[in-house]
Amino acid sequence: MIAQVPTGRGRWRARLDDLKRTWYFFRRNTLAMVGLAILLFFAAVFIYGYVYPAPSTSAVNYCATDGPPPGLCSPTAPIVCTYPQGSASPGPGCYQTPANFNNFIPPTFSLSPLALGPLPFGSLVAPDAGGTAVDQGHFFNLYDLLVKGTDWSITISVSIVVTGAVIGLVLGAMAGYYGGLIDEVLMRLTDIFLSIPGILLIIVIVIAGREVGIGGFTDDVILVTLAFIVTWWPTYTRIVRSQSLVVREQKYVEAARASGAGNGRILRKHVIPNSVFPVFIQMSLDVGTVPLVLAAIAYLGFIIFPSQLIPEWGSVAAASTDVIPSLFQYCSTVSGACVIPWWQILFPGIALFLFAISVNLLADGLRDALDPRLRR
Amino acid sequence: MAPPEATPVGETRARVVLDVRNLTTYFYTYDGVVQALEGVSLKLRRGETLGLVGETGCGKSVTAFSITRLVQEPPGRIVGGKVLFRGANLLWGVDREATFKPVKGSDRVKVHRNFRRIKAAHNRLASIRGGGIAMIFQEPGQAMNPVFSIADQVGEVILLHRGVELVDGLLAATPDAPEVPAAIERLVAAARDGDATVIATVATELGRIVNLSSFGVEANYLAKDANPESWDRLTSDLQKRLERLRLSGTQRAYLRLQRTIAENDQRLRGVYMDEMRKGEPQAGDRRRVQRSRTRLRISGFRFSLPGIKRRASKPVREETFWRVVQGLEGVRIANPVQVARGFPHELSGGMLQRVMIAMALIGNPDILLADEPTTALDVTIQAQILELMRDLRHRVGTAILLITHDLAVIAEVADRVSVMYAGQIVETAGVEDLFTRPLHPYAQGLLASIPRFDQPSKKLTSIYGSVPNLIHPPSGCRFHPRCPYAMPVCRETRPPLTDEGNSHHVACFLYTGPKVVE
Amino acid sequence: MRMWIYVVRRIALLIPVLVGVMTITFALVSAIPTSERIASYYPANPRSNPSSPTIACPSNPSLQCPNPAYKVAVHALKLDQPIPVQWGYYIYNALTFHWGFVSQTSTVGKGYGGLPALKGDAVTSVLAAFLPYTLELALLSLFFVLIISIPLGNLAAVNRNRPIDQGARVMSFSGYALPGFILGSLVLMAAALWLAGGKATSPICTNSTAFLEFYGSWPSPNCWMWGPGLTSYGYPTWLINTYQSTPTGFPTIDALIHGDGWLALDTLVRIVLPALVIAYGTIALLLRFVRNSMLEVMNLDYVRTARAKGLPESRVIKKHAGRNSLNVTITVLGLTFAFFLSGFPVIESVFNLYGVGRIFAFSLVQSGGTFDFGLIFGTTILFTYLVVAANIIVDILYAYLDPRVRLG
Repeated sequence: MIAQVPTGRGRWRARLDDLKRTWYFFRRNTLAMVGLAILLFFAAVFIYGYVYPAPSTSAVNYCATDGPPPGLCSPTAPIVCTYPQGSASPGPGCYQTPANFNNFIPPTFSLSPLALGPLPFGSLVAPDAGGTAVDQGHFFNLYDLLVKGTDWSITISVSIVVTGAVIGLVLGAMAGYYGGLIDEVLMRLTDIFLSIPGILLIIVIVIAGREVGIGGFTDDVILVTLAFIVTWWPTYTRIVRSQSLVVREQKYVEAARASGAGNGRILRKHVIPNSVFPVFIQMSLDVGTVPLVLAAIAYLGFIIFPSQLIPEWGSVAAASTDVIPSLFQYCSTVSGACVIPWWQILFPGIALFLFAISVNLLADGLRDALDPRLRR
Repeated sequence: MAPPEATPVGETRARVVLDVRNLTTYFYTYDGVVQALEGVSLKLRRGETLGLVGETGCGKSVTAFSITRLVQEPPGRIVGGKVLFRGANLLWGVDREATFKPVKGSDRVKVHRNFRRIKAAHNRLASIRGGGIAMIFQEPGQAMNPVFSIADQVGEVILLHRGVELVDGLLAATPDAPEVPAAIERLVAAARDGDATVIATVATELGRIVNLSSFGVEANYLAKDANPESWDRLTSDLQKRLERLRLSGTQRAYLRLQRTIAENDQRLRGVYMDEMRKGEPQAGDRRRVQRSRTRLRISGFRFSLPGIKRRASKPVREETFWRVVQGLEGVRIANPVQVARGFPHELSGGMLQRVMIAMALIGNPDILLADEPTTALDVTIQAQILELMRDLRHRVGTAILLITHDLAVIAEVADRVSVMYAGQIVETAGVEDLFTRPLHPYAQGLLASIPRFDQPSKKLTSIYGSVPNLIHPPSGCRFHPRCPYAMPVCRETRPPLTDEGNSHHVACFLYTGPKVVE
Repeated sequence: MRMWIYVVRRIALLIPVLVGVMTITFALVSAIPTSERIASYYPANPRSNPSSPTIACPSNPSLQCPNPAYKVAVHALKLDQPIPVQWGYYIYNALTFHWGFVSQTSTVGKGYGGLPALKGDAVTSVLAAFLPYTLELALLSLFFVLIISIPLGNLAAVNRNRPIDQGARVMSFSGYALPGFILGSLVLMAAALWLAGGKATSPICTNSTAFLEFYGSWPSPNCWMWGPGLTSYGYPTWLINTYQSTPTGFPTIDALIHGDGWLALDTLVRIVLPALVIAYGTIALLLRFVRNSMLEVMNLDYVRTARAKGLPESRVIKKHAGRNSLNVTITVLGLTFAFFLSGFPVIESVFNLYGVGRIFAFSLVQSGGTFDFGLIFGTTILFTYLVVAANIIVDILYAYLDPRVRLG
């Protein structure tokens, strides 16, 4: 893909032809089309989620406290109340814990105007701080969480990836083009960063950041995002540097220099545009990977849900992984009905899975379609 | 086959080793069907060098690749024709390997390939590649694998195609012949004297006594490289080297097994040739041979423990190495032992091309296809390589198909020339004939465009127009848009190749020779 | 040039990288307030000095600290020196494996040999005790990764766009897309349910509480999977009492040394499932690379020459194309080693295995909100050492396989 871009009036025509040709090759790849379809679906959910109300914690289990205050429950209020056996029903919209149930998970109502009644995604039981899962403090509607989570996950990962790519483009292009000391220093720096396994580095940065007090709030999205960016920029820098090393030797760079272009101009007009392709491929891969790493971090304890009500998919899944094993354990010791909310780990997991897969398939399909050697 | 006609004066009576008839190869791409070769026919005779000349993109390399079916399968496809070699049609079965479906509204054609049949075809052709038809390529630096040594890569050919001979040679060696010690003494004396030719003669003599010529080569280099300090050790060194020819029981058993495997491979090749000759699959024979091959391989497992394998295969490996050295000597490489031990990236382009030639010829092929062998080399090296090829032609008698765009190279080396334009052969003649009396307007234009020392004031002429797009080639004679003598019939029909006497064939409506050449 | 010169050069080049990594951790450690650092470095050490009180101090560093031991501690830890001096000491300590002490007894569970991580233990000895588990897991995973990804990748390249290629593609994408802990949890639940016959408890374990107890805690005194008659046959004596009778520290090898075949099998089976989960994720990455590098190589000139020589296609692929794509594969393996290791904390937590990753995960969730910095940074540095070592091995392998590299 190192080619001199045609100029003049034929430029747009050439680009259009190129696009048509790329689309033709892309279309023949079934898996990539599937990925594209899934991604379009996610884009639709993203837009929908933008106008979506934020999840609330007003769903509370009142079983432990003898029932909800009067007047709290009504069919239209988005509050779920449960009241223990034997006490009087506080009103419509409240659920009595069925007999013999050791842990009852009531259906929750979605806040979305599009949803009618409880949705099959079920309710999510979030562990309360200090409480055990059996005392289940709060219930959320999983559908709400997933929709809003799409927004959060995609926004966070796109911002991380784009920032990392921009930093990488600038630094990598300079390193590759100027060479010498800048190159050496940058290479050593990226070596160092790449030697530390990713998750460890992110966690260590978050810890240090918390101590210093970056970001303003404690379990914070901004700190995590910054930590990710710091971990990710070396990859892009490496890619761009190797590309710019190649571009540097091309004839048109020599020609540009001969006609008086300064280094900055050459960097801007030749080196960086020609490095965009592999960076773009890496970006599209990373957009799918970042939510997965966020999930792993959440699992290890840096969870931003439910404390901050940011229902990022990974945090939602991680919250569930705490609840389920202990419920499993609890249920094996008691008799009677016992619900293990397997859905709260499955559906966020499916969301993560589909997102990552679709982005990957798309990126792979694009790479195959744009590779000049494979076009025939 | 047409009945033999009375051969006119000048036509060689040598037999035809390669008969290409109507070879047609297309490339199915996004932009349409590239009609790269359209009915290409040529004949290659024993001992003759046929030059195939034409501009870049006219299909010369594709011709060579199509002959051995090395064309890249998507997007290429050999659509029709016959390639007769040793009585067999190498392109047998090519029509049944794919089906075509034109796409409405564009120039594209969808090709559905039957990969199983194509793989079977490649297996068939692997049997004649290297041993029957050998190829050398344009960029020698890229053509060799950088991680294996030269000896390894050239040796592969020996083991593949001359394995039986190699093993027989080893088994028949006589390291304990009575004349051996005396010969060794003579060699040591010659080494002390330092005269290279004498050393060579005595070493060859030693090889003859031991009944293994490669040992002679080994002894020769050992003696030549000996310096005053090592003269004393020379006798014992030579005797130690002789050890490799005294085979232990395991080594003998291993050798016999390898020989049987090699014979079996030859039989398999025979079966493949039979298939291509008779035009029908010989599945029964093939399976039988393959089954015995598997049996042999399994019985070979007793040699595969690491220590045993090394010791048992040592004679074969060393013998292969010295045969490689012999081969490198044949292409006039000055220090073949170092070169054989080294790697491709250590050698220059000219040396590598010599190595490639050695690699091609060491399998004793009937035909050598040389695809632009000198294009990537500078002129002085080019001259050396061409000199080498001329010399080889006289010594070995291999038929050479030399593909190039450089008329000068043709003039130096070739006996006959075929001129190609846009995927068609337009003229075939003896070298002298073509240069003095070119008939086809294209050939005339080519020769006229060569700048000449003896006419300094002449303007440089070129052929009007440019090379056609092979997706939409011109109808009829593909040269007609650029031809100064074009006639209406040229646009409609493709001119047949006619014989203009003295075995000078031309495809042009300007001439109506006595007969049409097939 | 000679092989060993190359090796020495490579090792020399890694010193700056190590120093750089430790500089980064130093920068992050320096961000931690002094009082917390002291608290984490000088905890009351029941093992060495049961009577020494914890050195506590007010969190506002500008206030005078009434505890005189605090000042002594500050001086001893060189925290009153200028930053470059501190850096020097830090690097020195890191290189000589003086990584501090465990600040809280974590519920990390019994390490191999029965010694848990107690408050006051040296970080290095704790890590050393748990490292063999991680290494065994890593080796097994690496084994799975190599035997699956290389042949499958080559097959996918040779049969491009045919069913096997599409299948490999799906496998690689799905492996990439499933976060480790989700796949791990699902797999674990499925396995436990299957082995327990659909019930939440396992009939094999005598202690019938959590299903996690069944799979993990390696080796567990309560749950054996194998054994004569599938009953728990007790804890072998050589494992209970002394450290000295577990010579290598690797549970499987030690069991084999003591001739305890069942125990060895048991330890191996416990790590098969986590190894497969890790391998699945890494295969996802490698498979694409192997396939793409093989595709590239197959179209190179020298492969064409090999075909023209008359080699059968299978030999061409195996010898020529295979050898060169092995190079790329090994390089990629080195690059993904960091990724590989970073999955360990999660997998070990999910499968309840007590390895170094588990320690890391534990050190993050200590009660009281303070982290165990010694363990955290110790683990990070250890993992970095492992990655760097892996990269050196890869470079050496690469030079061995490709003679061109040795020249420069």
